[in-house]
Amino acid sequence: MKIGLEIHVQLPTKSKLFCACPTSGDDLPNSRVCPGCLGFPGFKPTLNRKAIEYGLALAKMFGCTIPEASWFSRKTYFYPDLSRHYQGTQFAAPIGSNGTYALGKKKIRIRRVHLEEDPGSIRRVGDGSALIDYNRSGVPLVEIVTEPDLSSPAEARRFLADMLRDVRRTLGMRDDGDRTVRCDCNISVGKERCEVKNVTGLRNVERCLQYEAVRQTRVLKAGGVVERETRNYDEGRKITTSARKKGYEDDYGYIGEPDLGVFRPRAMAESVCATEMSSDIVGRLVGDYGLDPKVAEQIVHTSCRMASLFTTVADATDTETSRYWVMSVASDHKDALDAISDAEFGDVSVIAADLAVKQKAGEITDTECAIRMGCLLGGEDTPECSVARGNLEEIINRLIDENPGVLGDYAKNEKALNRIIGLAMRETRGAYSSSEVVLTAKKLVEARL
Amino acid sequence: MKPSGYNSRYGMFASFSDDVPEGKFQFSASDDILALGFEARCGSEILRGYVPPEDSTAVAALREAGGSLVGKTAIDEFKICSFGMTAECGVPRNPYDPDRCCGGSSAGAAAAAATIPGHVALASSSGAGINVPASFCGVYGLTPTWGRVSRHGLIDYAGSCDRIGLMSADPADFRKLLPRISFRDPRDPSSMAQPDLDLGLGAPKSVAVFKDWEWMVSKEVRPIFENALAELGDKGVRVDAVELPSLRYAVAAHRAIAAAEGSTSLARYCGLRYGRQDGDLSLGFDEYFTNMRSEHFGMAAKFASVFGTYVRMMDVRGSYYMDAVAVRGALVAEFKRIFENHDAVVLPTVPTVAPRFDEIKGLGLQESEYVETLSLPHGLAGMPHVTMPCGYASGMPVGMQLLADHWKEGTVIAAAEAWSKSFKTIKPGAVK
Ligand SMILES: [Zn+2]
Repeated sequence: MKIGLEIHVQLPTKSKLFCACPTSGDDLPNSRVCPGCLGFPGFKPTLNRKAIEYGLALAKMFGCTIPEASWFSRKTYFYPDLSRHYQGTQFAAPIGSNGTYALGKKKIRIRRVHLEEDPGSIRRVGDGSALIDYNRSGVPLVEIVTEPDLSSPAEARRFLADMLRDVRRTLGMRDDGDRTVRCDCNISVGKERCEVKNVTGLRNVERCLQYEAVRQTRVLKAGGVVERETRNYDEGRKITTSARKKGYEDDYGYIGEPDLGVFRPRAMAESVCATEMSSDIVGRLVGDYGLDPKVAEQIVHTSCRMASLFTTVADATDTETSRYWVMSVASDHKDALDAISDAEFGDVSVIAADLAVKQKAGEITDTECAIRMGCLLGGEDTPECSVARGNLEEIINRLIDENPGVLGDYAKNEKALNRIIGLAMRETRGAYSSSEVVLTAKKLVEARL
Repeated sequence: MKPSGYNSRYGMFASFSDDVPEGKFQFSASDDILALGFEARCGSEILRGYVPPEDSTAVAALREAGGSLVGKTAIDEFKICSFGMTAECGVPRNPYDPDRCCGGSSAGAAAAAATIPGHVALASSSGAGINVPASFCGVYGLTPTWGRVSRHGLIDYAGSCDRIGLMSADPADFRKLLPRISFRDPRDPSSMAQPDLDLGLGAPKSVAVFKDWEWMVSKEVRPIFENALAELGDKGVRVDAVELPSLRYAVAAHRAIAAAEGSTSLARYCGLRYGRQDGDLSLGFDEYFTNMRSEHFGMAAKFASVFGTYVRMMDVRGSYYMDAVAVRGALVAEFKRIFENHDAVVLPTVPTVAPRFDEIKGLGLQESEYVETLSLPHGLAGMPHVTMPCGYASGMPVGMQLLADHWKEGTVIAAAEAWSKSFKTIKPGAVK
């Protein structure tokens, strides 16, 4: 079985690909439009540079060849949601080609990565007429086309899930669920392939491929011939239906877009940071640091900054120490870490590594290290630690006096001690190791029973 | 006389206003250049009713410069033809002979520049659209480098060829007004790469002429252009004959590129959102837009749609569209080589004087291509050129064109000014 996917992802630009209209905001139909994206005669497209940079970041992530020169093309077809009756897309010179994506140990070849604009959307109304909303008209998309290297619907889904995670991370997008991805799925069980157009979401992709695999197998087993065709996926009935036979290739009469001219992706790509694919990072954590593959995957999937923090701390200490701090303290502050700038993150990583080194050398206690690292990663001010030392037994005795209920509770349930421990930790701010605090609290409470 | 007076005599306007304010210079814009307050029909019935939401950059700039827009001038439908006879508003008449055409596509602009005193016309070209009518109507016509004048607000036909230029009876207007409409405009990316306009360039000291020009023009044009060359020589300009091997492919290459791009530009017209929208909405979309295009496109737009779609289809694009693109590259290289040793190239603008309407009627598509043969090479190459009257044959003006390397508008403007100092223009009506 051979499966190839064409994946459309919306790029997180503020404005559209060829005009300044916003890509999000007011959802009132046709409220985010201008003469340009409505296709009015006389209005020229302008190019959104940010969209190209996003596309290049993805091309780099896949290790694509990036061309010296690239341009947009007009893909002509008549459909009412396409305001100019041609779509601005890339045909002859995509911004990326011949890349790969590592799905575990398997390499999935990426044929091309290109940019294009979304058409508007159509809403059919009861009486047989249709309403067109051009708010989406001109929203930038990236299309990622794979070679037919996927060999099962489940693998296709896994590939999509992993790849999209990397795509979102590269583009700095929040995980907004499955629904935002649109796929054209090519699948062949025998010789001839079928294309299922416009499938939305990971689950539907897997289901539609499963359905097609069964359908094609049955046709072949019955001695029939699978015809080359375009099919639609019916989400409600979970089946695919024939849309049109395809004896020939679609011919959109592509020509270069004369109004935008040529741009230089290779030169632009120099200033765009390449991101590592998550499977590569997992491989590196396992290979170079001897980390357990499950743990490595967990760290990378939490956030790639977590993986980066792990390597910085591990380089300064050792794998086990770093694993401990990353899995315990750092994972609590994932969102805060993702929110800071690259430069800030770099500084924070180095300070965190320094704390881990000090703790390992016994210069600070584990509690102090945890508190300070927590404040550091969470973006709070680091507390003064060693100043408030004082006598631990005095402090705990006072706390018991202030919270006499703890004694009775402790008699019923030993967990009641945690209250005193927590208060003591906060007050001593890491001046004592956690085991010291626990042992002292236990001793003093039990002494009073 | 008011615009309505000129219009009833020559039919040059697609729309106009007689409300002409005092103390401002008057200008017109061809009907594919958007202007607030005027419909923009671009020579086509399908755009009837399209009132643009804003001024084009060029119109806004001339208003800013103190101009008053008096009207929109007739053009061939989507600037496709070259006789000026396909405009939906009617056929403008040549000021020198009402039985003859003005030439196209900017037919009305040439008639206005030739007849209205002190008038400056914003005109457009997607090949020879300024050259041909200016030559036929005996006025000066400037086509700047592609990318010099913002095309924001120019209804497109062939984006890689479309340009906005100026026509006037006095080339001093070019020096005055070209700087006002030449600047980088973010709303037309093609204008962003231009170097600053240099109007300090002098008139050319050496010019090249195609070796074979003589047999490419009619016998009435030949002696007039010969005289013009001699006059240039008398003024101390060196005139050399040069070869331009790709010239013979220029017309075919332009046809393919312009129609291929044009057919995509025309695809948007479907009777929705602007222009004619009065079709039968009970029909399905395919039937609706097919009807609207069948009814309201003229023959020019229909031909360009069909031919242009054909040349970019997968099976043939290699031998039509892509070859044409290669010819364009070769032409640019050949011109650049000529400009290594010469300041400019001179040529007759059109091989004939303006033909009579009855002569044109009998011409097939290919037979009428001759009009553009001497303009399309640089039309494709995107180089700046000026056409100027250089004599009269049986009372009809003959044009001479001069072109320079990319961005050297200064050279062609200086040449036109120098020429106008000694050349005696004969006004329409004054020649027998
Ligand atoms: Zn817009």
